Amino acid sequence: MENAKTPNPILDPLKFRAAVFDNIGSEDAGFSNYSYWRSTLRTFFRNKMVLLLVALVLALIVMSLVYPLVSDVDPNKVSLMPLEWNLRPSAEHWFGTDALGRDIWTRAWYGVRNSFALAFCIALSDVGIGMIAGALWGYNKKLDPFMIELYNIMTNIPSTVYLVLLAYIMNTSYLTLFISMASRGWIVEARFFRNRILSLRDNEYNIASKCLGTPVWRIATRNIIPHIISLIIMEAALCIPYSIGSEVFMGFVGVGMPVEAITLGNIVNQGRASFTLHPYQMLLPTIILCIITVAFYVIGNKFADASDPRNHV
Amino acid sequence: MKRTLALVLTLLLTLSTAAIQPALASDVQSAAEEILASKEYLNVYKTSFSSSYPSFNYYSTAYATVRSIVANCIDGLVEPDIYGVYVPSIAESWETNEDKTVWTFKIREGVNWVDHEGNDTGLPVTAEDFVDGIRYIADPQNGAYSLRVVRDLVVGLYDYYWALDDIDNPDVETDLVREEVVASFDETVGVKALDEYTVQYTLTSSAPYFLSLIESSMLLLPVEYDYAMELGEDFAVDNEHMLYCGAYYISHFERDKAITLTKNPLYWDLENVTVDTVEYQMIPEGTTSLEMFRRGELDYTSVEAEEYLSMAGTEWEDNLIPSERSLSTNYLWLDFQGENPEFNTFIQNENFRKALQYSLNREAIATLRDPVNPTRILRNTINAEDAIYDSNGVDYTDYEPLKTVKETDYNNPELARQYMEAAVAELCEEDGTIRGIEAGTVDYLPVGTFEVDGKLPVTIIYVGTDDESEIIMAQLMKAMVEEAIGTDLVDFQIAAFSGWTYGTVADPLNYDIYFDSLSTGYADPSGLLTRMTTDGVENVGRYTVPEFDALVEKALSAATFEERLQYFAEAEAYLCEGAYLIPFISSLRGYYMTNSMPFTSPLTLYGNSKYKGTLVMEEALTYEEYLTLEAAYDIARAEALQEQ
Amino acid sequence: MTRYVLSRILRSLLTVIIVFVTVFMLLRLMPLTGYFPQEMLKEADEATRISYLRNQGLLDHPFVQLGRFVKNLFQGDLGRSLTVYPKVPISTLLQEKIPVTAAFGFSSLVLGIVLGVSLGLLMVRYKDRWGDRLGTLYIVTVRAVPNLIYLFFIQVWVSKWLNLPLVYYKDRPESWILPTICLALGSIAYYALWLRRFMVDEENRDYVKFAQVKGLPKKVVLRRHVFKNAVIPLVIYLPSDLLFIISGSLVIESLYAIPGTGGLLTNAIKSQDNPLVQVIVLMYAVLSVIGVFLGDMLVAFVDPRIKLTEGE
Repeated sequence: MENAKTPNPILDPLKFRAAVFDNIGSEDAGFSNYSYWRSTLRTFFRNKMVLLLVALVLALIVMSLVYPLVSDVDPNKVSLMPLEWNLRPSAEHWFGTDALGRDIWTRAWYGVRNSFALAFCIALSDVGIGMIAGALWGYNKKLDPFMIELYNIMTNIPSTVYLVLLAYIMNTSYLTLFISMASRGWIVEARFFRNRILSLRDNEYNIASKCLGTPVWRIATRNIIPHIISLIIMEAALCIPYSIGSEVFMGFVGVGMPVEAITLGNIVNQGRASFTLHPYQMLLPTIILCIITVAFYVIGNKFADASDPRNHV
Repeated sequence: MKRTLALVLTLLLTLSTAAIQPALASDVQSAAEEILASKEYLNVYKTSFSSSYPSFNYYSTAYATVRSIVANCIDGLVEPDIYGVYVPSIAESWETNEDKTVWTFKIREGVNWVDHEGNDTGLPVTAEDFVDGIRYIADPQNGAYSLRVVRDLVVGLYDYYWALDDIDNPDVETDLVREEVVASFDETVGVKALDEYTVQYTLTSSAPYFLSLIESSMLLLPVEYDYAMELGEDFAVDNEHMLYCGAYYISHFERDKAITLTKNPLYWDLENVTVDTVEYQMIPEGTTSLEMFRRGELDYTSVEAEEYLSMAGTEWEDNLIPSERSLSTNYLWLDFQGENPEFNTFIQNENFRKALQYSLNREAIATLRDPVNPTRILRNTINAEDAIYDSNGVDYTDYEPLKTVKETDYNNPELARQYMEAAVAELCEEDGTIRGIEAGTVDYLPVGTFEVDGKLPVTIIYVGTDDESEIIMAQLMKAMVEEAIGTDLVDFQIAAFSGWTYGTVADPLNYDIYFDSLSTGYADPSGLLTRMTTDGVENVGRYTVPEFDALVEKALSAATFEERLQYFAEAEAYLCEGAYLIPFISSLRGYYMTNSMPFTSPLTLYGNSKYKGTLVMEEALTYEEYLTLEAAYDIARAEALQEQ
Repeated sequence: MTRYVLSRILRSLLTVIIVFVTVFMLLRLMPLTGYFPQEMLKEADEATRISYLRNQGLLDHPFVQLGRFVKNLFQGDLGRSLTVYPKVPISTLLQEKIPVTAAFGFSSLVLGIVLGVSLGLLMVRYKDRWGDRLGTLYIVTVRAVPNLIYLFFIQVWVSKWLNLPLVYYKDRPESWILPTICLALGSIAYYALWLRRFMVDEENRDYVKFAQVKGLPKKVVLRRHVFKNAVIPLVIYLPSDLLFIISGSLVIESLYAIPGTGGLLTNAIKSQDNPLVQVIVLMYAVLSVIGVFLGDMLVAFVDPRIKLTEGE
């Protein structure tokens, strides 16, 4: 209980003054200047580690965008001299050269750019479509049997079956790769969100809101999304390293990208063959891959914590 | 152990009797004898394989592993000895007529089939079992693998096969009745049991190489017909559903995991079987088998180029032995009937083909396979060297003009550029448009679609598998071709295809350049060359070369074997010189390490290796020992071949 | 309740049928050249090819093929493999392979749950301290480093270090250790990650705060209240692991030469081994539907808030 509202009858005029009735201010009474997003961001950036990681990821992205523009080294330049193959790191080639004398430093940045762009699109489509579908699914009882059926069917048809078929009718390109990778992720996300939303939907405060006639969209944006935002961020963050990893599998069933395309998946896969002999060839791509994953994981987690209104105090 | 010792002694004896040669030779012989005598020998051999083995049906299997296992379990009529000279196996003796079209084999009596526990079934191996082998593969329903050579060689087999196929085919009207055709087999097909222990093959053409075909082809192995028929589809699906007459029987079978061969106690040549048990393990990853060899869990491992480099300076450095020989040749198919209008216009032009031929730096490509001594991998001919000899012992690839091809250095970027400029002058307008074609889209799906503009540079679409090492090779070739000819004139594109490339890429002509390999199957160039004629089955590029066809025809009707080889050499040289396809290296790759004594088992040039006679040591063979043994062996072999 | 269960069963059956028929028809869209061994395609002229396809029954109308398959299925005949293990009865194949994979799958799942849950609890208990950070490091490593690298490392170096065999042997139990651990690495990270997430979410609830205010030690609160509620979403997915248990891992089985089902489906699809693909897909679909079904039943069982209502 608010401690005694009853004012002390004896007031020290030095300490207390009668307030002038503030017409506008009284309207404010029920509200604080609390803004959900601002608080979330404030809590989020309060952590030094997070700042560092965000800076690191931004630096990686900027580097991978800028480097190919300013560098004049051709990442696909094959050397015809076997002596220039598999060079160890040197001043000229900072991270050595690969099995055909191509500069690993240069290739890594092209790879980061391409993989990142692809992974970002996939994360966006998986989580974006998945969330919308999940929200509809969770909120609409009539949709439920249909969606459950769709989910069961989609997750039960082995992806290899349609990927192999897809490989027969489509060119190897980024678009094909995107379609094949994004074709199923969304429904898994949708089911995940549906389950969370189901348990949130029937919370007392939502039922109360509903009784008071709050429109569904308002309940969704104000009461539900802030609660699942942590999950969204985390799912999206985990999606990115995952999609970089699954490039390799796609290549295995034949819907990979063109041979000449440089992606982190491709580089890591090529380096794997000679891992025992030339471990440094894997070093840079693996480090970058790790930084991306670690950063997104930690950022996702911290953001999830920060986005929980109960942590804002 | 005693038997092993006996064998070592006989080996020593053969080596020393061969050594009535100059002083140097006898030094070599005694050094080799010393090595042989200094070792302890074991009677278990542990080896590995990498892909799964489906069934042991030797007539229908396409898997090298299965073939190598069966080769040790079912004996054919003849087999090579350690020098590659054919000696009696199930056949005690044989004879042939003047023109080598009729071959008669006298079969050893008292050889019985055994089951998977080594028990005697009481069923003898007879002439009829060899006839039944042909009877089995002659039925289209049994799906014999790689049937064509045998089907077209044995008299009457071709017609018999197609008669049965017509009957099974509902779309074909035929009056024939299956039972009647089957009953006619003994009359019409050229394989007969003259008596219980004499089998005779009648062939459609002269086949001086017939014994090497027996070595290489699984289709000429015997079968206990009633047993196989009773099992039907179950025949040889595992070790319990087949019978054995070779040096070993399959005593243990664990699918995709392990297989054990045990010495056949009833074997006719038991005293020459030195290893009691051969244990196979499935090791899907190459690096694992190398590590297992180091830990003594395997007796053999191959060592790839990269692994080879990583072992320099380690304790295993001295044990690395370069792989000996490969009858298989790697080459590029050029598509003469593809959909790419630019490439299609140019490929008909000899200058363009020569430009491609001269733009490849074969030694650099070979460096990917052997970083230390790449030149041993180079090969410019279709048929392998050291594989086919005439009756004077002259190597087929040393017949002119093939010898010139064999010895030409095709790495010449300047010449490549000149040839290309000549081709451009003939085929293009001044402004770089290619005469007679238009811009368009090339549909090579499932590989992909490609845009071509009908102008220089010429678009070349190389299609290969997505195997990591093959992609690297393709990227190297791209760099070579573009550097030699110039990117102003060629645009080399690589498309990798995952999965099975023959059916989806090569056969439907979804490529401009396609990488493949073929191997010399038996001791005659006809094995490859007759299949590469204009309408031959191996003519994947679909070229039309009447001159080559004519030379092959001449070779086939030649009076002597030497004349035959001469015509074949001319034919092969014509094809290579004209760059209708581009052979560039052999399939040889890398090195190996082994615990087995080299040159102790039969020299199976064309077929699968046999363990009969193999001596297994406790420790790995060193390269030094290998070289000594090889020197002694070479002398002894030359001797043996001369005697023959 | 019974009605709900019945209708769920019917719907599951429908799912299985739709999945199976879809896959069956999709397989028939593959090019016919895929059904030949390479050498055979090379050797065979058009007539031979057609006669081969006809003998295999591949030229019949898809529905005729479907009918034949279903009829044989009800007679207990799963058919024979076509290209991956030519002529080998599929029932034999499955009998040989499933027990091996299932043994590894089950033991690694148990290991994964035990270690994963312990790790998750540890991380919550020491949230934002070293325990948490080490756990996070582990989870991140497993997810970030391409798995082939650390799997290879474990196989070669750890086996040398602990003197364990490099590959799996049926009769040497010590050779089972490394593959089981490798298989469990992923699920340990999975269970730890989500358990931590759900528990941290749960910790902020009022009832937890109340329990703490009431004076219960943190340990007891975590165990009695938080854990029980946080584990529910994980339990839903537990039965789905049924499929994981028998479907195996392609990479690990290949590294340790385990003759299991790991690469079976992928191989079969890539080699267009229709009979084999059909049977496996059917089997996996049935198992996965059962998994989902059991998961839902389990939720109703463990989560008192969700009640199965009659006639929605």
